[in-house]
Amino acid sequence: MSKFIDRPRYLCALGGAIATLSNLPRTIPIIHAAAGCGGNIFAALNGGSGYIGSGYCGGQALPSSNVGEKDIVFGGEERLEEEIENTLKIMDGDLYFVTTGCMVEMIGDDAISVARRFKDKGTPIFAADTGGFHGNSFKGYEIVLKTLFAEYVTKKTGKKADTVNLWGIVPIQDVFWKGNLTVFKKLLGELGFHVNTFFGEGETLDNLKNAGEATLNIVASETFGIEAAQVFQEVHGVPFVSIPFPIGPHGTEEFLRQAGVALKVTDRKIENVIKKEKTHYYDYIQRLAEIYNDIDLQRYAVIVGDSNYSPALSQFLAEDMGWLPELVIITDILSDEQKTLVSKRFANYSSKVKPEIVFDTDTSNVKKHINRHWPENHGQRYYDAFSPAFIVGSAFERDAAEKFGAPHLSVTYPISNRVVLDRAYAGYSGALSLTEDIFSLLVGNR
Amino acid sequence: MEYDYIKEKTPPVREDRLGSCGVFGGTCCGLSNQSQKGCLNTLKRTFSQTQGCQLNLSLAILNTIRDSVIIVHGPLGCGGGSSIFSAGLTRNLQRMRDPGASGLVWINTNLDETDVIKGGEQKLKEAILYADRELRPSSIIIVNSCVPALIGDDIDAIVAEVQPEVNAKVMPVHCEGFKTKIMASAYDSVYHGILRHMIREPDETTRVNETDLEKMKVKYRISRTVNVFNVSSMSRTDETELARIIKGLDLNVNFFPCYAHPNDFDRINEAALNVSICATHDDYFSGHLKEKYGIPFIIDTIPIGIKNTNRWILEIAKFFEIEESAEKLIATETRALEEALVPYRQALTGKRVFLTGGEIRIFATANLFENLGMKVIGFKSYHYDHFVDGLLDNVTDKENVSISVGVGQPFEQVNVINKLKPDIFVGHSGTNGVAAKQGIPVFPIFGQTANYMGYSGVFEVARRLNRILKNPSFNRNLSENTELPYFKDWFEKDAFSYIAGGQDV
Repeated sequence: MSKFIDRPRYLCALGGAIATLSNLPRTIPIIHAAAGCGGNIFAALNGGSGYIGSGYCGGQALPSSNVGEKDIVFGGEERLEEEIENTLKIMDGDLYFVTTGCMVEMIGDDAISVARRFKDKGTPIFAADTGGFHGNSFKGYEIVLKTLFAEYVTKKTGKKADTVNLWGIVPIQDVFWKGNLTVFKKLLGELGFHVNTFFGEGETLDNLKNAGEATLNIVASETFGIEAAQVFQEVHGVPFVSIPFPIGPHGTEEFLRQAGVALKVTDRKIENVIKKEKTHYYDYIQRLAEIYNDIDLQRYAVIVGDSNYSPALSQFLAEDMGWLPELVIITDILSDEQKTLVSKRFANYSSKVKPEIVFDTDTSNVKKHINRHWPENHGQRYYDAFSPAFIVGSAFERDAAEKFGAPHLSVTYPISNRVVLDRAYAGYSGALSLTEDIFSLLVGNR
Repeated sequence: MEYDYIKEKTPPVREDRLGSCGVFGGTCCGLSNQSQKGCLNTLKRTFSQTQGCQLNLSLAILNTIRDSVIIVHGPLGCGGGSSIFSAGLTRNLQRMRDPGASGLVWINTNLDETDVIKGGEQKLKEAILYADRELRPSSIIIVNSCVPALIGDDIDAIVAEVQPEVNAKVMPVHCEGFKTKIMASAYDSVYHGILRHMIREPDETTRVNETDLEKMKVKYRISRTVNVFNVSSMSRTDETELARIIKGLDLNVNFFPCYAHPNDFDRINEAALNVSICATHDDYFSGHLKEKYGIPFIIDTIPIGIKNTNRWILEIAKFFEIEESAEKLIATETRALEEALVPYRQALTGKRVFLTGGEIRIFATANLFENLGMKVIGFKSYHYDHFVDGLLDNVTDKENVSISVGVGQPFEQVNVINKLKPDIFVGHSGTNGVAAKQGIPVFPIFGQTANYMGYSGVFEVARRLNRILKNPSFNRNLSENTELPYFKDWFEKDAFSYIAGGQDV
């Protein structure tokens, strides 16, 4: 049985669906729900994402049936039909997608059938039940992708050997999603592949529509987008490989090797790309040789975040940066199998660092875990403290950072204390940005 | 109006209590006529865009209450907006009142597919016990969302059951979104909870050696104290300015409910007068406090702009029979302000302005701008009720000035703005971005960190507006480089084509 959550770091399924849809090119999401759902979701998406704004059709522009008490008693399907009909007259899009909130599902409205009546007349309109109680934002992402893959992506017989699709980077839940998708596009481009990311820079709906031509689907996650990949495989016969989201040379090298093997790229080619990227990376990182060692910039670190970022950040800090990420708190709602899978990512570091992994959805517990890992000073004269310390988490971790006097960088959702545009943290280039951001905080008062 | 709603567990919604309307499009004159005919409530939109709900707005108020834990009883997304968006800022704003304030902590009961069938009362109970045990707040505030209301969770019964076990004051707020489209119903929902659960009669304490003089001092202090009902959209500097004015009348002031500590509410009856700054917010609270404690109240105007600020002060002065000193204060303040405004008046005269936001605030702010020599060409009001009937009739050129009623609805707004092309858009957060993408300079109609109220507010508004108009390039560049999601022909049509009903119904 699920439990309450102290300051959840995600919205409901509808929230995830809206975050996903409003970041597809020229897409008009239609909400069949109470009046407040869309407005509330937008405030959370905008405020937690480093200020993504309303984009093409997000925020208060989202068409919404705004069902009220009367509709809840008599049913809201007629209102939805009216809303769709008028949306098609006013809102200029190439793809329309009906999402539902809790209330209309609970009273038994069949939004999918209503949408189908328009689809049968040739409108590019799709629908899915995304009521909030089905799960969190990641669930909403999964539901939308599954629907689009099954119904929007056209069946193709011929495959393009040099084309792959990549997802698993959840728009907004990964605040740096757009920059990160560009990183993956470039990296796999170096291996000789064209990559559809659906949500990234320069993408069009045609990339999504023709995604069935791809030779492989790469899910850059072990937890997000896997169900959608299974649906894609069933419907379009395209296999998938799930490779953990990487930050920094160690993780990205593994990513490239795994992707290379799945794509049957020669070892030589893979090694060449790795070598080139690493040379570029260390050309910059070597600049820190003096300051890192002159003033001792190694830190104990606590990481708080989702199951994509936490292992990637931990690996980067331990393996690439030579830090001590001793405590990692993963805030997703995960099954036992998923927990086991994610935990494996922290084993066998070449640095021999062994982080303590905690699965906990509750924000107030972050301080407790830190206190437990580094017990408070009970008046000892010689005391091994959580110092020098650094906290990588979300904006919520400002509380813990304040309590422990540690510098803090918001990297995981929600981020309300930074503006994020095209910044990326994935791969080699992303790790350079992350290094800049972390070390800037450490030298910031000099 | 009678105020005895607090006998019931749940408050009425504004549509029922005040006949508030949320849909209209036309001119100020047309709105006034339709309102008199009583046919506003039959209007509806056949195309609508998302807005907000009374739960969102309830949280905007409740999140400010210090030393409290908010429990959102609902599925994971509910309340995420107000909480995620404002957590950091709220902490800082709380600390302006109390440097040790802990900031915003909230819990979501995470109702899922099983709970929708079996009910969510157990989860709520566990959340309350957790909050009390682990976080030790002075109050635990439960906001109820649509789902538990539909499945029939009895949150008042849960509160009654756990209250003896927990240290914190537990307060349920019935603000289910689907019950009303008038977001301002939130104020009643929140005050309903405060009146029933937050305000507790303080224990009668008799000091052993309290002299008659000391007793009289307390009595005297109360007789010279006003409670001002603040709103979460105002700033600490607004409060400071209003406090300065009230202290200038030799009166004491307390601010409720925003940023108050839960225990402060127990002393809310230690005042001679309750003063509202906005009828949209407080009539429910003021009315009930009068019923309960016999404290008289003033609901007249919002102290924005010279005219309204003067009027607000005079109403208070009238009650305490100190009009003469109030007139002196007003004269001194007005003279100094007028002098300071001269350069801004010159720069702003003739500018055409469009305003959106709460019904009281837009008309008061319009008056401020008119006083600066600007011309008001249109309004969008979040809702409409009898509190603004008089204000509407005072609008200059009311036969031609455009007004619509609704929250958000940017499709109507872009259409109107495209036709009217104002020099400045004075907007409520939510649709400022879209005005920006049309290249219009935007002045936010409220701000939690800026001064709008009182005399200093007039100067600050003029100064900021003048600054914004000095270089509107950012928005102009946006308009040249972004696209709006509407078909081109929509801009040719009547902005209110999708409002149906009304007179013919």
